[in-house]
Amino acid sequence: MKLCNKCKEEVNLQDNFCKYCGSPINKKSNEQNRAVLNSIIGFYTIIICYIGFSSLIYSTYPESLFADIGVELVFIGIVLVFCAYNFNEIISLYKSPKLDSSVYFKFLPLTILFSYLIYFGIGGLNELLFFEDSINIIYQYTYTEYPFLWSIVFVAIIPPIFEELAFRGYLFNQLSKIISIELTIIATAFLFALVHLSFISIIWIFPFGLFLGYLRKKYDTLWIPMLIHFVHNSIVLMLDYYYYNKELTEIL
Amino acid sequence: MENTSSLNESACSFCKKPIEEDVIFCPHCGHPENGTEKERAQFFAKRAMNKNKAIDAKDKISSARNTLFVLAGIMVLFGIIIYGSTNSVLDLGINLFFAFIYLVLAFWSEQKPFVALLIGLFLYITLIVINAIIDPVTLVRGIIWKVLIISYLGKGIYSALEARNKENSSN
Repeated sequence: MKLCNKCKEEVNLQDNFCKYCGSPINKKSNEQNRAVLNSIIGFYTIIICYIGFSSLIYSTYPESLFADIGVELVFIGIVLVFCAYNFNEIISLYKSPKLDSSVYFKFLPLTILFSYLIYFGIGGLNELLFFEDSINIIYQYTYTEYPFLWSIVFVAIIPPIFEELAFRGYLFNQLSKIISIELTIIATAFLFALVHLSFISIIWIFPFGLFLGYLRKKYDTLWIPMLIHFVHNSIVLMLDYYYYNKELTEIL
Repeated sequence: MENTSSLNESACSFCKKPIEEDVIFCPHCGHPENGTEKERAQFFAKRAMNKNKAIDAKDKISSARNTLFVLAGIMVLFGIIIYGSTNSVLDLGINLFFAFIYLVLAFWSEQKPFVALLIGLFLYITLIVINAIIDPVTLVRGIIWKVLIISYLGKGIYSALEARNKENSSN
């Protein structure tokens, strides 16, 4: 039972109109949906503008750890501010998950296989299409004192936590309020691929995003997608580190 | 209880669904069964307005869909122009790839207008940002067109959301 918005009489939820004053009953949900849509468009627009500005900052302050940390902090700030508005829904995604054996025996090995496949497959594709070697991640941090440590922080730790919070957390929650869960998985995966701003990444991040969205839906928690994302990024980083060391010893 | 309620039941004279006899408004269609003449006039005026709104929403969705087709065409055209000046197959391929995505979204918007148009809008904004990163001057080039395209897509999205809400409430 709920009360009519206009005359405050008790109304049936199945009815379309209040039988006492004739005002439509679900008008409020209409407005709520508009508010949700506004928040989705606002969130994505802010994220994409942030990415545009961050690339500007990277090109004006190359090789500055200060700029790197600042840009990451802005991203974390944006995500946290949006999540603060949906605090209760977000926090429920951090309850301890009910793990079953399929996580260890199916999804983790699959992720490891996928990471290796992507690392060598995309590297080859990059050379084929753009006639250039893929950039080793470690080289982007060789200007720092501890390139390995900083690349772990910027590649393996921060993205899994906050990209998952942004896409599988906030955006997923908001979208699933107005569209079905299957469409939500597809839409978040596509947007997740889109914000990486790389033509090749759309091809492989989209299926990866579908996989993460599926895990988010299946376990109803962010821990599993975070774990999978972390494992994937770490493997790519470790392979880069391996080749970085190999090249370094060859030079010496 | 059930007997007494069925005794007082009659049908709404407008939507023909069974209603309790003493209610003022039909809970299904909102018709003022036992209302005043003024309320009845308001009911029909509102219905006519809603019908117009529904037609209007349909128009907006279809012009948003056409916008996606136009964007696909523009991507193909730009791809060919760039290919003509740089001879880069890769640039042509990337343009054709995004044209293809726009086409898929345009066709998909027949079944799922809301989500297809939303993704189309986000794709368009993202491509603007990518172009701005490569060459900031492109941000202001053809800005009126950009605003027009975004507003057409935006109107389509909000209309699709509202049209979908009405469908849900009538079921």
